[in-house]
Amino acid sequence: MVALTLANLRMMSRNRQAAFWALFFPLMLVVVFGLIDINAVGPGGLWVLDQSGSPISQQIREDLEAISLLTVEGPGGSETQLREAVARGDVDYLLIIPQGIDDPSILNDPARRLPVRLLYGSANQGRNQLVDGTVRNVVARILAETPGVPYLGLVESEEVPVVQVTYFDGVLMGLIGLGIMTNSIISIAVRISTYRNSSILKRLLVTPLPIWKYFVGEVLAHLVLALIQAALILAVGVFIFGARIQGNAPGNVLGIFAIVALGSLVFLNIGFIVSAWSRTPAAASGMGNAITLPMMFFAGTFFSTAALPSVLPFVAEALPLTPMLVAMREVANAGQPLWTTWPQLAILGGWVLATGVAATRVFKFD
Amino acid sequence: MEDAVLVESLVKRFGSVNAVDGISFNVQRGEIFGILGPNGAGKTTTLEIIEGLQPPTQGSVSVLGMDIGRQGPQVKAKIGVQLQSAAYFDYLNLHEILALLGTFYPQSVRPSELLEQVDLVDQAKMRLKQLSGGQKQRFTLAASLVNSPEVVIFDEPTTGLDPLARRNIWALIREIHEGGVTIVLTTHYMEEAQNLCQRLAIMDQGRLVAVDTPSNLISRLGAAYSVKVVLANPLTEAQIAEFDEEVELVQGQVQEKNTYLLRLKNHSKSLGPVLEQIGRSGAGLEHMEITPVTLEDVFLELTGNELED
Repeated sequence: MVALTLANLRMMSRNRQAAFWALFFPLMLVVVFGLIDINAVGPGGLWVLDQSGSPISQQIREDLEAISLLTVEGPGGSETQLREAVARGDVDYLLIIPQGIDDPSILNDPARRLPVRLLYGSANQGRNQLVDGTVRNVVARILAETPGVPYLGLVESEEVPVVQVTYFDGVLMGLIGLGIMTNSIISIAVRISTYRNSSILKRLLVTPLPIWKYFVGEVLAHLVLALIQAALILAVGVFIFGARIQGNAPGNVLGIFAIVALGSLVFLNIGFIVSAWSRTPAAASGMGNAITLPMMFFAGTFFSTAALPSVLPFVAEALPLTPMLVAMREVANAGQPLWTTWPQLAILGGWVLATGVAATRVFKFD
Repeated sequence: MEDAVLVESLVKRFGSVNAVDGISFNVQRGEIFGILGPNGAGKTTTLEIIEGLQPPTQGSVSVLGMDIGRQGPQVKAKIGVQLQSAAYFDYLNLHEILALLGTFYPQSVRPSELLEQVDLVDQAKMRLKQLSGGQKQRFTLAASLVNSPEVVIFDEPTTGLDPLARRNIWALIREIHEGGVTIVLTTHYMEEAQNLCQRLAIMDQGRLVAVDTPSNLISRLGAAYSVKVVLANPLTEAQIAEFDEEVELVQGQVQEKNTYLLRLKNHSKSLGPVLEQIGRSGAGLEHMEITPVTLEDVFLELTGNELED
């Protein structure tokens, strides 16, 4: 069995073309997503927390809405809640308009004289400068133009440190999942159906080798390949395009690999099933694509699944790639330890069992 | 000592077709046993049942005294198999393939020894697709010997090879046989069956029509020569009836128009009267071939069909 695994790895390494393209596709996507800095091009979301309830704050809000750099939102909870949202990176900008902004009497009462405050996360420095300047201008102009209102003349800005998780950090996990899924399903399906077509499987059957050992040899070799692939994609993402893995370094990185291994088992089993249903290697490749492409979209590889039509989120939840990506993002992006993802790991474990049973049931030797 | 292979009342049914229709035979230890028959006769199915690749519908098969159904792995450890048109891993060289196959058996022969036996030492580092047809076939024979088996089963070992490569394979099979290995092979080449096999089973449409040594099968016909004549005009029934009793007309017309196949029972003595009679009939002799009786004639006699077409 060890000999078989090693022989399989040797064959894979010699099939350089296949190995190259298997790696090339996800790596190319890493480069594409690494080069497009999605965080910089999008407008920032500005939440207005109006504590004064005055026409002035309404005016400020309306003027800010006219600025294309910002999408104005809110109201959305208490100051504490919104401040936490900024710290999490969920809210880009928070503008707090204090009570009494339209009250002339506070002019001589420094204790009640509160500034207009602008809070923003530390994630997007370039846009922060632009937004900061723009908001100051708008507020100062409106206060100056409104008669009978004390000119406070100042906006205090505050940068809130954010655990910096970028879109790229998240999509990198999606790309690892995508690479593992595509490779495992299509590579094993094509390989096994090639073996079946050329009677290699039959040739193995006339030896006393228990056939389960042959399958374990295939699975182990592909598992090693999946881990190498994940390591390469991760390395390119982190060292070339500056993606960050949250949490403590060895633990959470190992966690990612553990999830990759578990997910890979599911996809290898699916590969065996596909090979049983397809008569030629070409059919296996086509069927593999028909399975991996929809899964890639539904499981939220690139985008949030929240935008899916109402029925589809449930479909997406049921697919094996979804819990794999959720768990990987929990560990890599939210910095949670591996064990906190046990619900996802349990779902993946269930998938391993279900697909494993199905694969042994439907598998055909000739 | 028990038989190398014992097949009893074997039936294999695919849907409503009996691919193998109740055959029984035994292969003795140390012999080269051939199964001769046209394509579709059920030869490969029979071998695959012996190899444990397919379960029989009815009947039993034992190899070296072990039942293939109940002792599959033990049987597989003792036999060597060359499948018809089986490929091997594309990305391993010959030496590596043999080494890998060897790990599947309790004990195995060193790859270099096997390659030497089939004269492929220089090709050890090559891939299978770089070899010629004859070399490929020699390699698959070597691969079947990796566990130093007591019985080897070759399915059409020379199909698709040129005459020289075919003779090479025959020499190799004889060499393996001299090493004390029992050999079971299938073929649809009459010449191969006659030259190589010590005993033959003739198979047609799932049935065994005869099992004997090649020389016994031929002498059963009771004829020494076979004469093929091509005439300008057909013979009438009356003219056919006039043939001497020493002459047997095998078929009224074989394939082409006005072609007759005659067997001469009493050596060449009856040839003169036959020619005289044809001359008298006015049918006009255009062409004539005289050959010693071969397995081809045996097959034609037993099945009513020609073996090679």
